[in-house]
Amino acid sequence: MISKRVFPWLDERLGLTTIYKTTLDRMVPKVNWWFTLGSATLFLFVMQLVTGIMLSVYYVPSPDKAYDSIEYIMTGVAFGWLIRGIHHWGATLMVITVFIHMLRVFFYAAYKYPREITWTTGVFLLLATLGMGFTGYLLPWNQKAYWATTVGTSIAGSVPGIGDFILRALRGGSDLSAVTLARFFSAHIWMLPAVIIALIGVHLYLVIRLGISSVPKEND
Amino acid sequence: MNDIQKAQYNEKYKRAKRNGEKFFPDTLYKDLLIAIALFLLLVGLAAFIGVAAEPRADPSDTTYIPRPEWYFLFLFEMLKFFPGSIEWVGTTIIPGAAVIALLLLPFYDKNPNRHWKRRKFALTFMSVVVAAMVFLTIRAVITTPPQKDVGAVATTLPAKIAAGLDFYSVQCNECHGAEGEGGVIKGVKGLEGFKMKPINSQDEMYTRSDDTLYNIIEYGQPSLGMPPFGKAFGGELSRSDIGNLVTYLRYTWDNRVELPKEAAQTNAIPTLGPTDIPSYDVNIAPIVKRYCVSCHRPGKENNNYVMGSYADVMNSGDHKPNVVPGDLNSNLIRMIHREKIDAGGEMPPTKALSPDLVAIFERWVKAGAPEKPKK
Ligand code: HEC
Ligand code: HEC
Ligand code: HEM
Repeated sequence: MISKRVFPWLDERLGLTTIYKTTLDRMVPKVNWWFTLGSATLFLFVMQLVTGIMLSVYYVPSPDKAYDSIEYIMTGVAFGWLIRGIHHWGATLMVITVFIHMLRVFFYAAYKYPREITWTTGVFLLLATLGMGFTGYLLPWNQKAYWATTVGTSIAGSVPGIGDFILRALRGGSDLSAVTLARFFSAHIWMLPAVIIALIGVHLYLVIRLGISSVPKEND
Repeated sequence: MNDIQKAQYNEKYKRAKRNGEKFFPDTLYKDLLIAIALFLLLVGLAAFIGVAAEPRADPSDTTYIPRPEWYFLFLFEMLKFFPGSIEWVGTTIIPGAAVIALLLLPFYDKNPNRHWKRRKFALTFMSVVVAAMVFLTIRAVITTPPQKDVGAVATTLPAKIAAGLDFYSVQCNECHGAEGEGGVIKGVKGLEGFKMKPINSQDEMYTRSDDTLYNIIEYGQPSLGMPPFGKAFGGELSRSDIGNLVTYLRYTWDNRVELPKEAAQTNAIPTLGPTDIPSYDVNIAPIVKRYCVSCHRPGKENNNYVMGSYADVMNSGDHKPNVVPGDLNSNLIRMIHREKIDAGGEMPPTKALSPDLVAIFERWVKAGAPEKPKK
């Protein structure tokens, strides 16, 4: 009874039917399971957001406390080990799915007219995802993190001409320090997620607007 | 693509849609199934494999072999092909070219065909690149030497306390005594006769924070006679080790915190029933480790009597054998009874072993000083 009056009222103002018609209730070509990889990546990204936000409640981005705060998450927080475990493995899985998603788009030639910009935003998404992996790796501030980042940033430092500038911009000085950790933390939880969310917005808008491509036939 | 090709494509695509399905629910249910499967996979990975514990970051430990996350390994490996002055080819040119090639792909790939049979060059090229990435990743895994074994990383409180006790026994005992009680130092080069204050006291524990204790151990107090132990200052302890040591000190000596039961149990020296026969492995090794090894290890003043293993305990030292099975007049027994003999003075020099520990040594020697416990 109520819903009969509430829904039209809301619909009139929010355009719910239009949203439903354009996003869900539309015809798409019959496609196979390879086409689930984009949404699988999206799902993993959302999982990373949720678990990442939970981790940020306890994580302390300082060289003195980062390691202990992770340890506390693993041993002291109820289900902390599960949250961190999901975040850890989610990162790996997301890199895998985003890469295979790109390969499937490539092998089905789905980057061609009219989906060129979908592809380009996709490449930026790939780079941002790898950036998340690189910045997140340092945060536990353990041996593996510290030395991998030392080497990783020094590789960036070997770019001719501007290498030294990049190295200092990444590390915030000549060596890894509290400043480096602060920068990586900020990139990992604010800058890159903001970029990724914005890009996913454009990416999905284009996917819906242009429709998912069909599996190419012999004469395509 | 020219306009005719575009129109053709759009026409075909419209047909494909007409013969297609509803996005919701026909397509979306597949996505949903995959999401559920991924969720289960994630929980499974988190629960059954988890995240391996790593030691604390330690900038002074340069022996650590850096290892990037696995999905960067191929890049890392590729750099090996560009040594020295051409390194920038591997670090800048190739990755840069790859990114640009990917970004601009739809704009320079003018081939209007989409079926794989008519895109053989593009597909072959990409396949070779992906195969090379897989190859490099595998090669990196095979060729990187294994990490120097740092032993299990203590993550639980009892494990940390136990690890801390081990470090304390080996590193600190000789000067501060087994319980941190101090006293007049004997048998330590350079500090002979020094009157050491107790460091296990309430005064000490209430006025030294964990950070302070950490710094005292890492940096030492060289001008007072306390050597530095941090690797950065020439000592033997990593940051994780020192952290565990501080945890041990705090939980055993500070009366405001309670030693977890489990830790008290693992740290306790095994007791003996009235008819049990003591063995080296079960009963003697823990006592030796706690009360003797700190002085009786290589590089210390000890008449070359090192006590790291059963063989050494039985058969090293300037006055060997110091333990004669069955003979209660063995040097070791006489010395822990605080007799002064040719081999040296009272052992341990500063504070006598408690009578029940002395009794364990005696029963062990009387029983023939066995190494392994009898079943
Ligand atoms: C070579 C002898 C020696 C060894 C080994 C040694 N210390 Fe010391 N330590 C000293 C001396 C000497 C002092 C200064 C005592 C004083 O000021 O009266 C000292 C002081 C201390 C203090 C008190 C400092 C303060 O300001 O209150 C602590 C705590 C301490 N040591 C802990 C340790 C720990 C833990 C270890 C093992 C890693 C260790 N020491 C190993 C000789 C040693
Ligand atoms: C503070 C350092 C220190 C500790 C702790 C210590 N020793 Fe000694 N030990 C020495 C020194 C130094 C000598 C050399 C003789 C001397 O100067 O008295 C020695 C000599 C000995 C010798 C004679 C070795 C030989 O072949 O000449 C025996 C046996 C011995 N210690 C047993 C023990 C036992 C058992 C313990 C543990 C319960 C122990 N010591 C703990 C410093 C120590
Ligand atoms: C965070 C990363 C990404 C997310 C969340 C994402 C999400 C999606 C989703 C949900 C789709 C719908 C179709 C499908 O699932 O296959 C899609 C399509 C597409 N994606 Fe991505 N994607 C990401 C990264 C990429 C990358 C790295 C590329 C390529 C470089 C890419 C290129 C494309 C293209 C061209 C399409 C249209 C495909 C078609 O219509 O058949 N995307 N993406």
